[in-house]
Amino acid sequence: MLSELLYMENICKSFFGVPVLKNVSFRLRHGEVHVLLGENGAGKSTLIKILSGAYTLDSGKIFLEGQEIDTSTYNPETASRMGIATIYQNFHLVPHLTVAENISLSSFPISRMRLINWPAVRAFAEKALQLVQLNVEPNTRVKDLTTSQQQMLEIAMALVQKAKIIIMDEPTAAISRRETETLFQIIRRVRSQGVGIIYISHKLEEIKEIGDTITILRDGEQVGTMPVQDVNMDQVVNLMTGKEIRTEQRHVKRVPGAELFRCEGLSVTGKFSNISFAVRRGEILGLTGLVGAGKTELARAIFGVDRLEKGKIFVNGKLLRHNTPRAMVEEGVGYIPEDRDVSGLCMNRPVRDNITIVSHAKRRGIGLDLRRDTQEARSFVERLQIRTDSLERQVKYLSGGNKQKVILAKWFQAHCQFLILDEPTIGIDVGARQEIYRLIDDFVKDGERGVLFISSDLSEILNVTDRIVVMVRGRITAELEPTGLTKQELMSYCLGLKNGVSHEVPL
Amino acid sequence: MNKDALRTLLTFISRQQSLSMFFILLIMWIVLAFLSPYFLTINNIFEITLQSAVIALLAAGESFVIFSGGIDLSVGSVFAFSAIVGGLGLVATRSVLFSLLASLGGGLFAGFCNGSAIIKLKIPPFVATLGMMGIARGLALILSRGIPIYGLPREYMWIGQGRVLGIVPVPTIIVLVLFTVMFFVLRNTRFGRFTYALGSNAEATRLSGVKIPPVMLGIYMISGAFAAVAAVIESARLGTMQPASGSGYELLAIGSVFIGGASIYGGEGNIFASLIGALIVTTIRNGLNILGVSAFYQYVVNGLIIIFAVAADQSRRAR
Repeated sequence: MLSELLYMENICKSFFGVPVLKNVSFRLRHGEVHVLLGENGAGKSTLIKILSGAYTLDSGKIFLEGQEIDTSTYNPETASRMGIATIYQNFHLVPHLTVAENISLSSFPISRMRLINWPAVRAFAEKALQLVQLNVEPNTRVKDLTTSQQQMLEIAMALVQKAKIIIMDEPTAAISRRETETLFQIIRRVRSQGVGIIYISHKLEEIKEIGDTITILRDGEQVGTMPVQDVNMDQVVNLMTGKEIRTEQRHVKRVPGAELFRCEGLSVTGKFSNISFAVRRGEILGLTGLVGAGKTELARAIFGVDRLEKGKIFVNGKLLRHNTPRAMVEEGVGYIPEDRDVSGLCMNRPVRDNITIVSHAKRRGIGLDLRRDTQEARSFVERLQIRTDSLERQVKYLSGGNKQKVILAKWFQAHCQFLILDEPTIGIDVGARQEIYRLIDDFVKDGERGVLFISSDLSEILNVTDRIVVMVRGRITAELEPTGLTKQELMSYCLGLKNGVSHEVPL
Repeated sequence: MNKDALRTLLTFISRQQSLSMFFILLIMWIVLAFLSPYFLTINNIFEITLQSAVIALLAAGESFVIFSGGIDLSVGSVFAFSAIVGGLGLVATRSVLFSLLASLGGGLFAGFCNGSAIIKLKIPPFVATLGMMGIARGLALILSRGIPIYGLPREYMWIGQGRVLGIVPVPTIIVLVLFTVMFFVLRNTRFGRFTYALGSNAEATRLSGVKIPPVMLGIYMISGAFAAVAAVIESARLGTMQPASGSGYELLAIGSVFIGGASIYGGEGNIFASLIGALIVTTIRNGLNILGVSAFYQYVVNGLIIIFAVAADQSRRAR
């Protein structure tokens, strides 16, 4: 039974000259659940996207059941014709159509009158739903299904299209424990029919439960492949994070001052619950956790972008009644969103306007002093070394790192006291990254201001912050001192293998 | 005007679409002068500035809306509504000043309703102003019982027909003054800055602490106010207030702004470029008239202008 289904050999891929996959080989057999593990940016999703035809590879070969695939003409359509299906979070479903319509969408059965044969559509849907034992009426609209049912439906659609390989990317991220059980039953059944499953998840207990084989990627390299029963968790964490010796970059140990920001019992149903922490003047508090832990949702709710259901927020000891972005800005809080291009910048406005917008928002009065505006903008462009040929240049023409510096500049220029940074270095090259760390460091240096630094890049969290809180599935599970903490230890906290307080934390 | 402003004005003139549009306008005038002996007459040139005054003023208000990423389809109807409100005020009080204020109030009120609907009911500008397009037209017809108002006093008519120093038409002066004022509103006030920012990225603007509702209200009220001023000028020129007037003017106003090179996605645009746009739109109409082309074709031409102006913008963007 366990013959070879897929073999990806020496796959290489780089983006803009940066290698993302380096000679990765991956083997999947019939009836195997093969788990892919790795930190963010390790190359898991790139590998998956190459297999599903979304990316083309730079070099390497792909064999499907022993037959080499012509990778030059390989695309998502040929991939799905060859039986490779990817289950995204309801990515393939049309929410306003019914279950039956979704199942038949790619090829509707036609009657003799050249019209859609609805009884056949329904019968086909019933057969498909049977495969995953999903007990829903075929005429239900997809948007009325639960997330878990939608996932089942996607699996059913993959199966009726005779999928040989099903790729599941974090399939249990948004479903309950009981639904997970159901999913696992289906996976076991599908597996027994000889379908190969590539399973991406960070939940180690699940991996032990459902996986057969595990492959670990780190920085685009394949660092280990082994049967799940031989695996011990410490070894997995070590492989994921690497044995690198941490370089202590910080020279000065900051002594934090008075409390600047505090939140108590913040909750949003389904996102995070009972979050409490404080940030002091002159302190960079790190907030880390895996993707999906609820960090971004927390940041958005704190700044008032999304509604907060429960909890209190204090800035400078003052309780904020309504935490709208406007009120937060007035209290001297700034926010750099994760999707900075989408909600951080006015792309077709000049650098100057972007830098001065917050201070104008806080100010009263009618007029603008354009000369002062220009002076202010110029002084920040120089201070932050923003590379732009003119203050009038539209921000969209700047590089990622320089865009981020413009956002930093607008908060600095408005004398912001407390900055919430969500993944501030994502998609930014190494050089600009160092500059951004230095700017954040300068920002808190004089002991007046504070930062909440959110990142899932563990090295960055360890190097930049003074104190770390770890979020796992919407809850804070640990508060840690970065000094002396290893990346491996921090990873085990993020994975939920450890929790609590690692060292004496003065507060 | 300080030195900076002058430089900005010069850089604006030297910029891509505005400049090319200015040349297109000149070329059109030259071609029309060859095609028809009537075109380059003093009378006709003033006719163009007079005709363009109404469209230009509507385009000035529309510019604010389009720069902020919205669209105002109601300007043609609000035009008629504020004309009738002013006309009724005139009939009731015989005071020209009161009538002018009533018109302006009508325009501001319609704009206020547009802005409020967008903010409070959370509906897109397209829908809010489409609704207002029907409402304002209906109110104009109801209030006037469908009957035009005649018998405007001479002082009122002077606004549309008078000449300063015996040469320059009053509407031309009104246009130049208001455009200059609005140029500085967009450039030198917080409100102007936020108008562009809102059009460029509303979410980023909100997250920067800008209070969006007052900005939005201001934008649509300016659009309504300009519709009122345009209505006053046309009423004064024709000596009558018509409940059916201004229909189709939204097409001309929006077309003028797009010809001026404003982005349909907002955040970009220059109000003087919209003025050139209005001159082009009017020249085409005027040229077609002189060449004896039926007025019916003019609608077709106006429609084509909008489509090609935006297509030009898109291809510029794709580069």
